[in-house]
Amino acid sequence: MTTDMLAVTGGTKIFYRGTPDERRALDGLNIALKPADFCIVIGSNGAGKSSFLNAVSGKLPLDSGRIKIDGLDVTKLNAHRRAQFIARVFQDPMIGTAPTMTIGENMLLAELRGKPRGFSYGLTANRRAKYREQLSELNLGLENRLDMPVGLLSGGQRQSLSLVMAVSTRPKLLLLDEHTAALDPRTAKLVMDTTVRAVEELHLTTLMVTHNMDHAIKYGNKIVMMDAGKVLLEIGPEEKRGITVPDLIDRFHTKSDAIALQGS
Amino acid sequence: MDILGTLTSFYALIPVTIAQSLIVAFVVLGVMLPFRILNFPDLTSEGAFPLGGCVCGTLITMGVNPFLACGVALICGFLAGCTTAFIHLRFKINTLLAGILVMTMLYSINLRIMGRTNIPLFTYDTVFTILAGSSANVSWVKILIVGALIALVVGAMLYFFMSEKGTSMRAVGASPDMAEAQGINVGIATILGVGAASALSATGGSIMVQTQGFVDVNMGFGILINGLAALIIGEAVTGRQSILRQVMAPVVGSIVYYQLISFCLTLGLAPADLKFATGAFVLLMLALPNLRKSGGSTQIREKVRE
Repeated sequence: MTTDMLAVTGGTKIFYRGTPDERRALDGLNIALKPADFCIVIGSNGAGKSSFLNAVSGKLPLDSGRIKIDGLDVTKLNAHRRAQFIARVFQDPMIGTAPTMTIGENMLLAELRGKPRGFSYGLTANRRAKYREQLSELNLGLENRLDMPVGLLSGGQRQSLSLVMAVSTRPKLLLLDEHTAALDPRTAKLVMDTTVRAVEELHLTTLMVTHNMDHAIKYGNKIVMMDAGKVLLEIGPEEKRGITVPDLIDRFHTKSDAIALQGS
Repeated sequence: MDILGTLTSFYALIPVTIAQSLIVAFVVLGVMLPFRILNFPDLTSEGAFPLGGCVCGTLITMGVNPFLACGVALICGFLAGCTTAFIHLRFKINTLLAGILVMTMLYSINLRIMGRTNIPLFTYDTVFTILAGSSANVSWVKILIVGALIALVVGAMLYFFMSEKGTSMRAVGASPDMAEAQGINVGIATILGVGAASALSATGGSIMVQTQGFVDVNMGFGILINGLAALIIGEAVTGRQSILRQVMAPVVGSIVYYQLISFCLTLGLAPADLKFATGAFVLLMLALPNLRKSGGSTQIREKVRE
């Protein structure tokens, strides 16, 4: 049996513990991903999807539970230390890139993610050539604008750049946090197509949070439905084939009704 | 008014003013680094500048080698800056307030270091008398020595900010979330950056006391606003589009700003009004983008996006 690329066991995070506002963002969450799994995370607002991603990236330290990446326990590692395994594309195109720095400099920051950074010159001719090649696959002409500040790009261009930055280092884990939600439909499709191509070509283990049910059906080999900080429903590769949006919604309701009945 | 006389006295002051502006350029670099590179508005320079002067001056009167004294002053400035950054990061205190706290506490520390409010240094050897002997007080000699040093510092900063490490420090100011996601330790980068900035201000102070021949505990008063004014003028001249322009701006700005001040004084501006004039100028320059009709800069952006 192969090692899980990501294994979260008993992940719990409680905000405002011991006050009337106490809220369980993650409540004994268990999730395991095999290498090259492309897992879609769905669930209503407040279900804990973002907390889950933040817990994996290290931005949100767990109260209890463990997180392993490729067999290594990273529970105690800070976000910047975990970055050597994890690449992330944020929902907001403004967060994922450094706006006042050039496209080339942003690519450099991504290339050195989690690696030791030295005092040697950053944007060498070799690197520039490599970045041009990587960016040319987007067909957005970004390869000819290495010295342009990223702040001058459109949201879609910035998100595409974020994606290239994330996948270029072949991370063990790729986190996509509703990364097409802030884009217009046409650009969203473009970014989504690029995402799927990169994930499949590079066999990246991927977690994608989305509110788009069509995306959940169409992409990935696994669906995880979250509710109240737990996994409500997990749909594996065999089941996922041929599933439709009504099926998905139906199963979601059946499951939550069952839980509601148990509780009463 | 005698125009020719005014121009002659302004002309005669040019070398002295250049020498002074090159020394203050260290402080302007120390203001620019946190403010523009790290997005960490910092007031520590106002305390680090006299700290550098007090430490260096006191050590020189104790018979310590002036070069070594400058080095110790630099380290003290670095620690002061690190303290400000640490207070902000650890206790979530606003950067400006953290700077004011450190600056205020430094005033007492400076007095304790010196043991009195001012120390004359005329009779002691300084970096300048060691390097230039009896011509140490000639303005052009000072310009040469300080100019060479500032060129070295600017060159080193420029190289650093284009290196792998320096690029990551710039990312911390540009987008902290992104920097963290790229594996950069935001806290360490901030502490080292603000520390380095205060080290620059302290170095400026240590050079200043050696050229003016005395240390005064109040020598830092208003230096921050002067630095800010110089930075803004410099950026207006050089622009900020590239890291080269951003690093050159403090030096260019310092030179232009002090010539302007010198010109205003020879024209008859009362020295008492100088701080008000400087403050009003900084206010105007900072307010200008908001006085203009909105949309000016976004239109340019839209164009580039096409």
